[in-house]
Amino acid sequence: MVQQIKPGQFVQLEYNGRLLEGLVMPRSLYEDEKHITLKLKNGYNIGLDSGKVRLVKVVEYETPAQPIEEKSYNEIGNGPRVLIMGTGGTIASKVDYRTGAVKPAFSAKEIVDMVPEIGNIASISIKTIMNELSENMKPENWSVMSNEVYKAFNSGYRGIVIAHGTDTMHYSASAVSFAIENPPGPVVFVGSQRSSDRPSSDSAINLQGAVTFAAKSNSSGVFVAMHAGLDDNLVAVHRGTRVRKNHTSRRDAFESVNDSPFAYIDIEKGTVKQENETTPQGKIKLMPNFLAKASIFKFHPGISESLANAVFGGDLLSIIIEGTGLGHVSREVFPHIRSAITEGKFVGMTSQCIWGSVGMTVYETGRDLMAMGVVPLGDMLSETALVKSMWALGNGLDLGSVMPLNLRGEIATRRPVEK
Amino acid sequence: MKMGFEIHIQLNTQQKLFCGCNPGEIDTKTVSFGRKLRVSSSEMGEIDPAAAFEIKKGRSITYVSGDRTSCLVEADEEPPHNPNSEAIKSAIIISNLFSAGIVDEIHFMRKIVVDGSNTSGFQRTAIVGMDGRFVYVENVIGISTICLEEDAGRLVEKGENGPVYNLDRLGVPLLEITTEPVEADAATGEKIAAGIGRTLKLTGLFARGLGTIRQDVNVSVGNYGVVEVKGVQKLEQIRKVLEFEEKRQNWLVEVSRILNERKIREADFDAEIVNLTDLLRASNSQTIQRLLSDQNALALKAPGFSGLFAKEPVPDSRLGLDLADLCKLFGFKGIVHSDEISKYGIENQILNDMSRRLDLHENDGFILIFGDGERTSRCLEMARLRLKQSLNGPPSETRMATDKGATRFLRPRPGASRMYPETDIITILVSDEMKASYRVEMKSWESAVDDIADKYNIPHQVAEQLLDSDYLEWFTEAAVTFKSIPSTVIASVVLQTFEELRKDGIQANKVALFDILNLVSKGSIAKEAIPDVLRESLSQAISVESVIKRRGLSSISQEELKKIVASILKDSRRENVQKEKIYGVIMGRVMKQVRGKIDGMLVDQEVKRQIEEEFRSN
Repeated sequence: MVQQIKPGQFVQLEYNGRLLEGLVMPRSLYEDEKHITLKLKNGYNIGLDSGKVRLVKVVEYETPAQPIEEKSYNEIGNGPRVLIMGTGGTIASKVDYRTGAVKPAFSAKEIVDMVPEIGNIASISIKTIMNELSENMKPENWSVMSNEVYKAFNSGYRGIVIAHGTDTMHYSASAVSFAIENPPGPVVFVGSQRSSDRPSSDSAINLQGAVTFAAKSNSSGVFVAMHAGLDDNLVAVHRGTRVRKNHTSRRDAFESVNDSPFAYIDIEKGTVKQENETTPQGKIKLMPNFLAKASIFKFHPGISESLANAVFGGDLLSIIIEGTGLGHVSREVFPHIRSAITEGKFVGMTSQCIWGSVGMTVYETGRDLMAMGVVPLGDMLSETALVKSMWALGNGLDLGSVMPLNLRGEIATRRPVEK
Repeated sequence: MKMGFEIHIQLNTQQKLFCGCNPGEIDTKTVSFGRKLRVSSSEMGEIDPAAAFEIKKGRSITYVSGDRTSCLVEADEEPPHNPNSEAIKSAIIISNLFSAGIVDEIHFMRKIVVDGSNTSGFQRTAIVGMDGRFVYVENVIGISTICLEEDAGRLVEKGENGPVYNLDRLGVPLLEITTEPVEADAATGEKIAAGIGRTLKLTGLFARGLGTIRQDVNVSVGNYGVVEVKGVQKLEQIRKVLEFEEKRQNWLVEVSRILNERKIREADFDAEIVNLTDLLRASNSQTIQRLLSDQNALALKAPGFSGLFAKEPVPDSRLGLDLADLCKLFGFKGIVHSDEISKYGIENQILNDMSRRLDLHENDGFILIFGDGERTSRCLEMARLRLKQSLNGPPSETRMATDKGATRFLRPRPGASRMYPETDIITILVSDEMKASYRVEMKSWESAVDDIADKYNIPHQVAEQLLDSDYLEWFTEAAVTFKSIPSTVIASVVLQTFEELRKDGIQANKVALFDILNLVSKGSIAKEAIPDVLRESLSQAISVESVIKRRGLSSISQEELKKIVASILKDSRRENVQKEKIYGVIMGRVMKQVRGKIDGMLVDQEVKRQIEEEFRSN
C-alpha cells in the first residue's frame, strides 16, 4: 500500500501500533526511496521506513504551489540608480516553513522587502542574467556578465552590483575587471558565506555594503564586497584583481592579497571609508571575449613527468606556473617548459606562497627559467594571471607584452610592510 | 490542576553535538564579536509584540567565544559537523527506556530562536522517540516526545545595547523529554518529575552539576490557558512552583469573576491612552518629579481593577508586578498603578484631576508609565491586551521560576515555533539493530542507594540525598581521594554547606572543595573550619589557602591544646562555676580560641579529661 502515500498528502499512518498524523514531505535527491518523511503537527520532521507504515487514511491533499517567477525590473527606493544582477545563487531568499524550500527573490520589490535598508541607499533595479552555481561558471559566463555591465552603464546606472556564488567569485571579478576598461562607476560583486535562509546570514549586510559602495563611491573599477571580520557591521571592498577566497566558511573569507582592502563600509553609519581613488582614464571600452586555452600548473615535489608533459605539450596556449617560493620548479620540468616556449606558448610564473612577489633573479633556478623565456608575473595572483591570459587570448593580445603589465591594479611595484 | 513537564538534561558526551569542542574544558582566552539576526516579519511566526519590537530595533548581540569551549561552528563560521554518535546512541537508549517508538530516520530541524542565544538564529533539534510512557507507582505518564537538541548560548549580561552570550554552552547536547499533561496535585507532580529525573540520572548517561537538568513545567487550572514556567533547576522548586501557580491562577479566575460582577465588558478596555504630564509636573512629590524627569507620563484606564493590582494571593504574586514585568520587556524600570498611587505623595487636587481626565468611576484603576516614543505606546497597548485578558481568567503565558519557587512573568506564550529542515546535516538512519541493541541495564533506585551507602559507609538517607544531588561525582571522587576523611564529612559539605551557599547565591566550586579537603586530610586545619572557610573563599573568589592565612587558621598540636585548656581552666577557678555547668563554660571558651584549628572531638576529650582531673584532685 506504500505507493498510495504521496508528498503533499496529510495522512494518518499506523506505525508499530501507533497512530501518527502528518504531512508527507518530498524527499531530497540525497535521501533514499525506502523511507518517507512526515512533518508532524508539532513542526518536526521524522523519517519512517515505508515498509513498516500502513496508511490509515488520507485526510487531505494539498496541491503543490506553483513557483512564482515574477520578474520585475521596476525601480524601487530612493537615491542613485543601482542595478543588481543575479547570476544564480540567492541574493536574498525566504524559507517556506511548510516545505523547508528556499525561495529566492526575483523582483526588485521582493529584494527590497527582504533587505529594506537598500531602498534608502539607492533606487534599485534587479535583473537575473543567468542561473549558475558558482562552481559551474565558465569563461562564457564572464562574457555575458561583461556585456550586461557594459549595457547597464550605457543605460545610465551609476553603479552595478553582481550577486554571485562565492566559490569562484574572485575569478569572475577578475574577468570583468579586464573585460571592461574605464567603467564610469563601480561594479561590485557580492555573495554570502552563510545562506540567506538563516537569520544569521551575512547576505543582507554584504548586500548593503555592496549597494552603498555602488551608490556612493566615485571609483571606477570592479570590486568584491564581503564581511571584513566576524562582526556584522564592517564590510571590506576589495579590488577584483587582488582578491582571493582564503577560507572555506568564514564570513571574512575574502581577502585582498598583497594589498589593503580598497575601502571599508560601515553599515550602521552608511559611510564609505576609502583612501585611494580610481578615475576612468577615458571612455568605457568592452573587450568581453575569453579563450579557455590557459591553465594553472601547480608544481610540487615528486611532480609527475606525464602530467608536466600533458600540460606543457597539450593544446594550451598559456600556462601559469604556481612555482615554489620566489618562483621555482625542479629541473625535471625544465625540458617541458622549454619545448612549450619554443612552440610559441606563453609560460608565466606566479608563486604558490600566495603572499609576496616572485623574484626570479635571486637563485640560479629562477635565472635559468627566465633564460628559457618564462615570464615573471610579479605579485599577481595565479588565479588573476589565469583569467588575464584567457582574456588576452580571447581578444587577440600579445601575452608576452600584456601579461607583465599592470592593467587593472593586478600587479604592484611595492608591498607595504603591514599586511 | 493539570501539569506537564519538559525535562532538559545534559548528556555527558566528551564532545558537543555538532563539533569537536569539549564543554568541560577551561578557556585560556576569549574573543568577542557582534552580530545581528534578521528575521523578516513573515518568517517570525507568532512571536510576541515585545520580541518583534526588539528585532525591529535591530539590536546587536555580542558573543564571547573561548579558545577551548567553542570554535568556528558555534561562531556560525563553519557548518555543523555530523552529529555526535554517542549522543545519538544515548537518545535511542532513553527512548527505549521509556518504551517510545523510535523513528527510522532522524531529521534535524531548525527551530527559529530570536533572542540571540543561538548564533545561527535557530536551535537544532530532532525527534528520536515519541509516544512512550513512564510508569510511576500505579500511574502511567505518557511521554510524548524525546528530542535530541543543542543547548543555547549562556546569557552573561543583558546589556543596554543588547545581550551578551558566552558560547561555551552553545551546542552542548541535551535530551528534551516531554510528558503528556496529567491531572495531579503539587506533591504528586513533584514525585513524577523526581521519578523521571532519578530514572534518567541512574542511566549514567547524563552530566551532573548545577544547570545540567532544567525543567519547564506547564500548569493550568480548569480549562484556562496553559502557563509555561521555565528555569526550574532544582527538584524542590517544582512543588513550590506548582503550589504557587495553582493559587495564582485560581486568583486570576477570581479576578475574572470580580470583573464580571463589576459588569466590565471588553469594550470598556478601549479607552484612549491619556497624557498626564502637565498634571504631574505641577506636583510637589519629589519621587514623581524624579520618575518624570524630562519624559512624558502616559496612563491607561483599567476598568474595574481597583484593588486587584496589589492583592497578593501568595507572596510575590501581584497583578501589578506582572504588568511591571511586562513593561520591562520594553525597557521600562517599572510602572505606577492605581492601588499604590497614594504612596507617591501626589496632592489630592492633582489626583482628582487625573481621575477626571482618565474618566475613572467606582472600581476603576489605571496604570501609568514614564517614557517617550514608540516603545511607550507599544508597551501600553500590550498592557491593555493583558488587562482585557483578565476577563477570561489566567492567560497562556511564559513565566520564569524564582529560586524561592515563585514565578515571574516573562513573556506571552509564543505560538507554534517556526521550524524547517536543517539542510547542513544529513538524515541519520536508525537501523533495527540499533533500536534493539541500544539499551541500558537499569538497577532500581533502592539498589543504587544501597550500593552508595555500602561503598562509602554512609547512612541510606545520606546516600539517597547524594544520588539526587548535583554533586555525586564530586563526592565519590573526593571520598576515594581523601580516604582519611570520613565520607560523612564530605557528604555533609556537598549536601549542607553547598546548599546553604547556594541559597545565598554563592556557587560551589570543585577546586575549592578539593583544596580544603586536602588541607583537612593533612591535618593543617580541622574539619569544623570547612563551612566558614569555603564561604569566605567562594564568596570573595580567593583561594582556600589565602583564607586560612588571613584567618590565622593554621592548626595547633594536641600539646598546645592541653596548654590552652589548662590555662582557661585555671582562669575560671576564681568564678566558682557550678560543677554541672563547668563543662559547657570551659568547652565554649576553649572552642572560641581553637575553632577550626583542631578536631572538635579532641577538644571535647581534652576538656573532659582536665575537668575530671581537676575535680579528682580537689
